Amino acid sequence: MPIEFKRNRVIFREEVRVEEAEALLEALQNKPSSKVDLAACTHLHTANLQVLMAAGSCIDKWPQDAQLRTWLEAVLLPRS
Amino acid sequence: MSPLPNNPLLEQFLLESRELLEVIGQKLMQLEDSPNDRRMIDDLFRSVHTLKGNSGLFTFPEMTRVLHAGEDLLGKVRNGEMTFSRELADRLLDAMDFVGVLGIEIESTGSIDAGRAADSARLGESLRALIVNPAGSAQSSAAKSTPVTTKSAADPLGGIPGLSKVPEALRLEAFRRCGDGEKFHWIAYQPVPECFFQGDDPFHRARQTPGLLWGGVLPSEPLPPLVELDTYKCSLKFHLLTAAFHEELAEYFRYVLDQIEMVAVDPLWLAISECEPEQRAGIEDKLVSGSRVSEPATSPEAQEEAAALTRIVTAQEQILAFDDRPAWLTGRLKAVAGVLKNLARSLGNAEAEGQVETSLAAAQASSSPRPLLEWLNAHRSHFASRYVAEPAANPGRVNVEVEPADSDPSRAAAGNGSKFGRRAEDNQAGPRSLKVDQAKIDRLMNLIGELVVEKNALPYLAQRAEAQYGVRELSREIKGQYSVINRIADEMQDAIMQVRMMAVSTVFQRFPRLVRDISHKLGKEVELVLEGEQTEADKNVIEALGDPLIHIVRNSLDHGLETPEVRRASGKPATGTLRIRAAQQADRVVIEIVDDGKGVDPAVIKRKAYEKGLIDEAALERMDDRSAVNLIFAAGLSTAEVVSDLSGRGVGMDVVRTAVEKLNGTVIVDSELGKGTSIRISLPLSMAVTQVMVIESDGQLFGVPMDHVIETVRVPRHCIHRIKQSMTAVLRGRVVPLKALNGLLGIAAQHRANADDELSVLLVQAGGGVLGLLVDGFRETLGVIQKPMPGFLSSLSNWSGSALMGDGSVLMILNIREIV
Repeated sequence: MPIEFKRNRVIFREEVRVEEAEALLEALQNKPSSKVDLAACTHLHTANLQVLMAAGSCIDKWPQDAQLRTWLEAVLLPRS
Repeated sequence: MSPLPNNPLLEQFLLESRELLEVIGQKLMQLEDSPNDRRMIDDLFRSVHTLKGNSGLFTFPEMTRVLHAGEDLLGKVRNGEMTFSRELADRLLDAMDFVGVLGIEIESTGSIDAGRAADSARLGESLRALIVNPAGSAQSSAAKSTPVTTKSAADPLGGIPGLSKVPEALRLEAFRRCGDGEKFHWIAYQPVPECFFQGDDPFHRARQTPGLLWGGVLPSEPLPPLVELDTYKCSLKFHLLTAAFHEELAEYFRYVLDQIEMVAVDPLWLAISECEPEQRAGIEDKLVSGSRVSEPATSPEAQEEAAALTRIVTAQEQILAFDDRPAWLTGRLKAVAGVLKNLARSLGNAEAEGQVETSLAAAQASSSPRPLLEWLNAHRSHFASRYVAEPAANPGRVNVEVEPADSDPSRAAAGNGSKFGRRAEDNQAGPRSLKVDQAKIDRLMNLIGELVVEKNALPYLAQRAEAQYGVRELSREIKGQYSVINRIADEMQDAIMQVRMMAVSTVFQRFPRLVRDISHKLGKEVELVLEGEQTEADKNVIEALGDPLIHIVRNSLDHGLETPEVRRASGKPATGTLRIRAAQQADRVVIEIVDDGKGVDPAVIKRKAYEKGLIDEAALERMDDRSAVNLIFAAGLSTAEVVSDLSGRGVGMDVVRTAVEKLNGTVIVDSELGKGTSIRISLPLSMAVTQVMVIESDGQLFGVPMDHVIETVRVPRHCIHRIKQSMTAVLRGRVVPLKALNGLLGIAAQHRANADDELSVLLVQAGGGVLGLLVDGFRETLGVIQKPMPGFLSSLSNWSGSALMGDGSVLMILNIREIV
């Protein structure tokens, strides 16, 4: 699974595709306080991105992929 | 024969699009004369609609976009929401010309050049502009028609509000690179909300933008609370700042060209985007004056240059002296430093460049513009006097110094240019097939045909060498040579035939649509199964096959297959099956059209044929069912009246037979009442060379096409029985009618028997029956090129044509069907 849902954490791995968006939305609806770990993520589909943006989730770990990180840092919230 | 050998569908499309475009062009022009002709508008709309639909089968977004716009426009006209005007016709004609150009491009290169995208968008917009504004004033369309073209000149600052989001450091980097001659584009990419369903990932597309310097994501409207969020509706948009060329971007975004807005970035915007509006104006002026001349000094006039330099320097000074707002200071400092450095570099003064760098560092450290200002003041006079003096005194040196900075961007551009150029060349070098005029192939075909015939002269020569001159050795050598030439000629003939071969799929392609339309109209459910589409045959054969096949398919659908209710009642599945199968059998291509409909009733056919006088009473009694069913091909039986009585097949069946026979083919029907009908067409793979059997009668030679020959037998005279005027013989356990060829041709002589008093009989297949032809003797079989009888002779139906023999004599080919 490109997205792993843990107790209080959502972990993105590699390429996260559009199919995951539904599950992500559900998980974040159920647990809005979940922290998001993007460290191993190389790309996430627009659908996932807009879920993260709408949820205002806290990003616990930014992606190692520098370019992706730059994109995301501008729109997602860091860990509070 | 074209660069697209693997895509017959595309070839077909290109062919059809040419025709459709022609029609559209004509209609548009006719409509100008009579703009209220409803039917014409309907036709026009349909043509454009068809073309658009077809283009959608392929990935030619440029083409589809224009056609779509045209279709929408015509739709409005058709619904009476707009009137047909000259301007509308002009634009449509323009658009259709463009589509035609694209077609040619696809045909020659296999793809559409990326540069077309902008044209396509422009044309599409200009068509849509008419819809939006039916008055179609030139102004509105002109404004609308440039969605992706450079807007640099218009509206210097208003264009890009999002630019302020770009981090200052990046913006200044971009500004600096502008000084180096790079050009930046700002792209606002607003994906359509439903793009996820089209497999699109806008974020991915945005990330992969060529030359991307900065990109930002933002909601296209405020994002709803999580509960209401529609995951599958794209509600984000993207802003991109990229250093790529316009063409490159247009190609990259070619599929979403309508979703992006691309603007060439004026370097000014990069430098000042963060200022307050009221300050903008002032800075703008200064920067404008500054940056204009900070572009590499190309003016040859030293005076002008000097004045420009002074203006720049003054402008920088003013910027530095600007009322301080700490937040913007860094940016301003960097901007000024950038300008000064560019200035220095363009004048080839590396030393000054370094000094500016140092002063900038000092200024940043102390958060004050002073160090830079001081440097500027210190060097101003120096700047001006030195650079005013020197170019005049020694222009050559300045030129040399200027060169590196100046030539860099141009070299980069040239580099990129050549890269594009190379790619274009690659495209052209690709096709490995040739497009050849059919006439040339036909000529080759004729030549090889003559060669095939001519080589047949060699055995004669060998014979003569032996018989007439008694040189057995030479005769053997000629025969040896003959076999070699024979082999090569055969291979050559084969190779040329291959060139002319086409797959039957080109004919089959039209059936799915035909079957669908007809069956819907008739309220029948039909499943069409196509088999052996890859079977190949000569182009002429394939082309001639189209019409007969359509007749047969139409008949099957109309008369053969029943309606679902009837089918269910007779215990068959509601959906009927129509199977069209092509296969190669030896040197023939066989096409079968099989349906599982109600079949043909032989009794009814026989009765009808009898009533029409096509068969006599005896035949009516004797005829087996199979022969009876084949009567449907008889000319007299295929009138509409008979068919409707029969409620079986028949319409145009004799047309089918005629067409097939023209190709030297045969057509046979098999039908089982209640179970279905199968029609079998057998055609030669190629029509160029006909195999004939040479027979002798009364000292003359005649040819009989091998297609008709079943076998040759010798029948003892006493085994031939006479029943009144007709002769018959029992051959292989069945009664075969015999006819004397001499009698049929009106030759007075009797047929000669051989030493054992046996007569030669050629068994031929003619008109569905077997017949024995009495002849004097059999000769060899030959491959000949059959020439149709010319002029008045063509009315002699006994002969299907003539051919030249190897020894120069003319061989008349019998038309078996006609003479019996």
